[in-house]
Parts: sequence; structure tokens; C-alpha cells
Amino acid sequence: MHIASGFLSPPVWGAMAAVSGAAMAGSLAVAGRRLDERKVPLMGVMGAFIFAAQMVNFPILPGTSGHLGGGFLLGILLGAPLGIIVMASILVVQSLVFQDGGIEALGANIFCMGVIPCLLGAAVRRLWMRPKVGLFADVVTAIAGIVGVLAGATVVILLLSWSASLPGSVSLGHALGVMNFVHLFIGIVEGLVSVAVVRFVLTMRREAVFGVGAKEAIG
Amino acid sequence: MSAYNRNTIIVGLAAALLVGAVVSYFASGNPDGLEKTQEDLGAADAAHQGLQAPPVAFQEYSLTWLGEGFWGNAAAGVFGSLLVMALLLGLGRLLRHKRPEADAGDSSAMTS
Repeated sequence: MHIASGFLSPPVWGAMAAVSGAAMAGSLAVAGRRLDERKVPLMGVMGAFIFAAQMVNFPILPGTSGHLGGGFLLGILLGAPLGIIVMASILVVQSLVFQDGGIEALGANIFCMGVIPCLLGAAVRRLWMRPKVGLFADVVTAIAGIVGVLAGATVVILLLSWSASLPGSVSLGHALGVMNFVHLFIGIVEGLVSVAVVRFVLTMRREAVFGVGAKEAIG
Repeated sequence: MSAYNRNTIIVGLAAALLVGAVVSYFASGNPDGLEKTQEDLGAADAAHQGLQAPPVAFQEYSLTWLGEGFWGNAAAGVFGSLLVMALLLGLGRLLRHKRPEADAGDSSAMTS
């Protein structure tokens, strides 16, 4: 879902750079407090894993593929500030080294694939911090994952529309419909994969990631 | 480094490299959801002045010297994953150093 170079107008990408820049500044300001010695390596390998996972385009509808966003998963596992930092690092590397996403569109891409899904992930994080985690957490998390993808997809279309990068003959409603229809399927995969990975992490690294039945939400 | 952290890195990095270097080779080459939407809407041509990174070593997700086959893709997956991890480990260490001592109770709060 990376917005490529040349699709956003200067006012739009400028505004998004400011918004994501502010989100990054806020995240960096509080990050130190959330990092214990076990979180730093977790942050590193999760970043590597999401980068790798984004390379795997899976077929969805005919002629169409999708790939994991990962911001939602990072929001659950690390909380919003650390998740946003990890996602922004991935998107910067993708943009600068792999020509995936325009450099001027970085702010927009960090917002749509980082800030939005990370906040949604962080919102369901406390479900996974309870002493007993039941099916309820899986279901709510999967749905929130879908919502995160659709919210990001919606903002992408709005940004393209405000940048006059959609043909005049196409109504905004139609564009939103086409984009969200495709991303509903991608979102379902995102939600299910996120639940599966969170379950795995819960088994392997519960204390470091969620605390053991911690009452206060660190996310 | 503690055994706990070493294991985190070994297992996490192994998963990342397996996915980035091997599984990604079997990825679909079709346009992704956004690209397909832009094509379907007739909005696939860039209308503004943009800024795109030059393909110095990698063309999309393949190392240019190795081409678009398995090894070119694997090199991109390995290099990208390691670069992201190195960036985050460095950043994490830097941020942790700035961590105020007064807030050092995070981990004890977890076990209470």
C-alpha cells in the first residue's frame, strides 16, 4: 500500500510529513521509558521480520496481490510509540534503498501504514496483557486488524483525491469502494496473521512483551 | 548479552531471513491492492513532481548484480532485514541510554 513517488501534491505530502514527523517526535520522546533491556532486541527482530513479511505478496483477487502491513502487529506487541518507530524505520529503508514508496510520500506512508494501524494495535494490546487470554482477544484483534487496513486504505484514497491524482470522472465514493473492497481481503489476512503471530509471541516471550498478567497498560 | 536476548535475536532473525530470503521468492508478482486500484481507476500515472530513490544496489527487491532470480531476491531480503534490525538495535540502545532512572521500574511493575 506504499504511495509511490509523484502521486501526492506538495501541500498534501507536506502536511502528512508534518503529522508523521510530530508522531515520530512524540514516539521518540517517550520511547526510552518503554525500553527495558529485553525490548531492544525484540524491537530489532520484529522490524526485520515485518520488513521480510512485506516482501511476500500473496495472491488475493484475480490479477491482484496483497502484502502484510505489520503496523497493527507492532502496535500490539510493542505499543504505539515503539511500533511507530519500528514501522517508520522499515518504510524509510524501503523508500531509500528499495524504491518502494516515494521519498516525498514517506510522511503519508508512515501515517497510513504506521500511525493508524499502530494505534489500533495498541488499543487491543491490553486484551493480551490479562492473566488469561481467551478467544475474545483473538476475535477482537482480528477485527481490529481489518479495521486498521481499511482505515489506512481510506486515508490513502483521500490523500490521492486531495492531490488531484484520481481522474475527474471517478467519484470519491467509487474510488473508496474499489480500494476498500480489495483491502478487505488483505485486511482479513492481516488480522489472521497478526493473531497467529501474537499467539506465538504469547507462548515464547509473554513476560518481555506483555508482562505476566500486568494490570497497568504499558502500551 | 543474556541468553534470553540472544535467543530472541536468533529465533526472530531466523524467521525474518527465512521469510525474506526464501518465502518471498514465491511471492505473487501481481500489482498490490493500491497499484491495482490505481490501474482500475485509470489513475496509474504520476501527476506531480516526485522524489524517487535511485536504484543504487537494488532494483525494487532484487540485488542488481544478481538479477531478478532467487539469489537476487534473497540478497535483498537478507540485506533489508539486517539493515532494519541494525538500525533499530542502534536506535534502541541510544534511546535506552536516555531513559530516566526514575522510570526504571517498568520491568518490576510487570511482575507485580
